[in-house]
Amino acid sequence: MSKFADIQIDPAIVKRAARGDARAHEIIYRAFKTPVYSLCLRFTRAPAHAEDLVQETFIEIMRSISKFRGEAALGSWIRRIAVSKALMFLRSAWTARSQSLADDWDDVTPGNAVSHGISSHPDEALDLDAALANLPSVSRTVVWLHDVEGFTHKEIGKLMGRTESFSKSQLSRAYQRLRPMLSPMGDSVADENAALRSI
Amino acid sequence: MANETKDEEMICGLTADERDGLMRGLNALPETMPPRAVWNRIREQAQAEGLIRTAVTQRPSTWVAGFAVAAAVVLAMTVLPRLMSTAGLDTQYTEPPALTNDIPVKVTALQALMVQSQQLESDLRTLPDEPKVMRASTVATLSDIEDAIAAIDFQLNESGVQMTPDERELFWRERVRLMKSLVRLRYAQAQRTAF
Repeated sequence: MSKFADIQIDPAIVKRAARGDARAHEIIYRAFKTPVYSLCLRFTRAPAHAEDLVQETFIEIMRSISKFRGEAALGSWIRRIAVSKALMFLRSAWTARSQSLADDWDDVTPGNAVSHGISSHPDEALDLDAALANLPSVSRTVVWLHDVEGFTHKEIGKLMGRTESFSKSQLSRAYQRLRPMLSPMGDSVADENAALRSI
Repeated sequence: MANETKDEEMICGLTADERDGLMRGLNALPETMPPRAVWNRIREQAQAEGLIRTAVTQRPSTWVAGFAVAAAVVLAMTVLPRLMSTAGLDTQYTEPPALTNDIPVKVTALQALMVQSQQLESDLRTLPDEPKVMRASTVATLSDIEDAIAAIDFQLNESGVQMTPDERELFWRERVRLMKSLVRLRYAQAQRTAF
């Protein structure tokens, strides 16, 4: 489940932030900086771009927090802004390369993409990280939005300016690439978590 | 919703177990903290655009509060890291040598560090907000720790950096140590505020 959902901010802090209180904004930043940066880094794979997107996200939060009515959780609202900024960046990157979203998959050669230099390590979590990095950016984004952030295919299609079917198709192709490593990975992570809880 | 899930499984070609394993694996991937410079950039832009009002710096009302925070800082920066490095990580995740060879021991230790780091991130988020009034030394210490964590995250995420498994484990071990210091310091801060 998305890390954004775990973060609670006192409504009084949000009200102070809406009045432009710098300290309140810093509290919100400190609470959400890691999930926002992690999401942006996951999408872009480049720390410099992720930092720019974090800046754009929190500036947007400052601009529009006075319109936040609290109907949804603050974390969901912030996540949507971060996702929107990250997708806007990716869209511009795709545009700059004169590629369509659908072509993105065909551009990838296995093992060619940025993989943080860890793909040869035997650790399964790192393998998943590397496998994810090796996916085309569109598919990686769809996997993350659907399986981690909990967006539906309909929402993803809308966010990406495409259809629900497009989202499903991207997810399906990504799963085929990730499938060989699924069974052992899930078990070992669960075992590790159980061992840690017992300490 | 149930129909949609069924459709997705048919389309995506994964069994429920595979799907479950993937989702658990994805959610277990570690998070990354941004460098401190990012907040400075945000603050500068926000001030330039008139989006925020800078608060007047306040002083602690009593010397007792200041002393408590200073003591917490000293504790977090000196005693606790030593205790954690000797009594915590080094012994906590040792595998029985008879059961595994060298490589699985390394894998398990690294996985444990990653999971522990994620747990500490989660613990940090559960702590109350930082108090309105903080000593400059506390702010500096928090910032120093966060900078060190950000530097480690950069190394771990930088595609150009080649690391041996031992080096990677060393970085993760240091990250966990720093995260523990950060959590302890923020916890002490929260205790002081509650008091």
